[in-house]
Amino acid sequence: MKTDVLVVGAGPAGIKAALTADRAGADVILIDESVFLGGQLRSQTQYFSNLPKNIDSGLGIEIYNELENQLNNSNITVFTNHTMVGSFKNGNIGVSNGEKVLEIQSKKNILAPGAQEEALIFPGWTLPGVMTAGAAQILVNREFVRPGNEAIMVGSNIFALEVALLLQQCGVSVKAIIEEQLNIQCKDTSKLGEIGNIPIFTSSRIKAARGRGKVEQVIIETPNGENELYVDLICVANGFRPILEPFEILNCEFTYKKGLGGWIPKYDNRFLTGNPNCYVAGNAAGITDLGPILLTGEIAAWNALGEIGLVSSIVVDKKIKNLWVELSRLEDEYVFKERLNLINNTSAIKY
Amino acid sequence: MDKSTIVCRCEEINIDEIETAIKYGAETFDDIKRLTRCGMGPCQSKNCIGPVNEIIANNTGKQLKDLPLTRMRIPVKPIKMKVLVTDIENSSIASVLAESVDEDGDNR
Repeated sequence: MKTDVLVVGAGPAGIKAALTADRAGADVILIDESVFLGGQLRSQTQYFSNLPKNIDSGLGIEIYNELENQLNNSNITVFTNHTMVGSFKNGNIGVSNGEKVLEIQSKKNILAPGAQEEALIFPGWTLPGVMTAGAAQILVNREFVRPGNEAIMVGSNIFALEVALLLQQCGVSVKAIIEEQLNIQCKDTSKLGEIGNIPIFTSSRIKAARGRGKVEQVIIETPNGENELYVDLICVANGFRPILEPFEILNCEFTYKKGLGGWIPKYDNRFLTGNPNCYVAGNAAGITDLGPILLTGEIAAWNALGEIGLVSSIVVDKKIKNLWVELSRLEDEYVFKERLNLINNTSAIKY
Repeated sequence: MDKSTIVCRCEEINIDEIETAIKYGAETFDDIKRLTRCGMGPCQSKNCIGPVNEIIANNTGKQLKDLPLTRMRIPVKPIKMKVLVTDIENSSIASVLAESVDEDGDNR
């Protein structure tokens, strides 16, 4: 199977990259391992406003619906339930639905596999009832299942608070938010106001979870001593880590950037990785927010289009310049600084 | 933390087993994997890699940025051997496994 652009991962970055390439006249194949498109975005009911200027503010699911609408009106070939399993000697990418392997020959690849939630271990973390915040969000918003009746949230970043609020809205009693650091991590003060009466324990951590066959009790270590709470749900929001497997399979180089989520593929200001046919987009290029995620997909796509020769380099340069300006405006200052730092150190990728 | 706490849930490896591997000279995730099977189960280290690296850092004094990435190989996700050798004429992966195809062309 031949195409101009293969996009791996149909989260917001992948969809945005695919749409950008499609509109410029490229043949595009978009694959995702899930039966659903949209990645986590389609399960998100939080409100996003810090977005690129051509996208309306809204709930995650609303923003996804608009992207899906645009996908349906495009010429993009979409394969859901197809996972990238490897690459062939000739550089083609092997994609499988569990029944057979498709060999896709593309001029350029845009890899947007996203990120995964970081696990947190404590005695009892393998009991049923312990899950990541993202898992709780999927259960509620996609599967319409209430994951528990009485919960605690571990972590106080914005995502942790959003999910704690979501759980409360579905009638789960959130008994505490536990933060290991000295301060609450969420910088959005209005979000802190919303969580109102949920006690937040800073400089605290879980000592153990206990129960017979499921979580029944959790013991928390706080600066004021130990606290025992009776809960059946422990949600863990311990941050995200870029997914790297596709990049290693395609011989990209890696670097460590704490502010971008740890190990990430090296890339330059075009979002081109150490493999001259592979671009990176989305959270895999550094953990960030929805607005910047969409922009990285667009930047990668324009550069791929320029390299293929579908768009002149003058147009590409102009688009990229504007998108970088927008990225600097939307992205968290520290994350953007780390990104620039990475790019300035990777101009010397050799092919 | 209690040393019997599970770190790799797929292979049921606990903190004590990982620290023992470190005492025997393991310096990286891959070293621990080869000594204990940690990270070799169905999830292929997707859950335990972060916690294991923290244990290594705590025990060796190294920083997380100085701990190398684990080796990632094809197939990226678990896949049936049968599926890997389908469409045999067009697949160079299949050439490696061609001997497992019998005379009737059925994949074994």
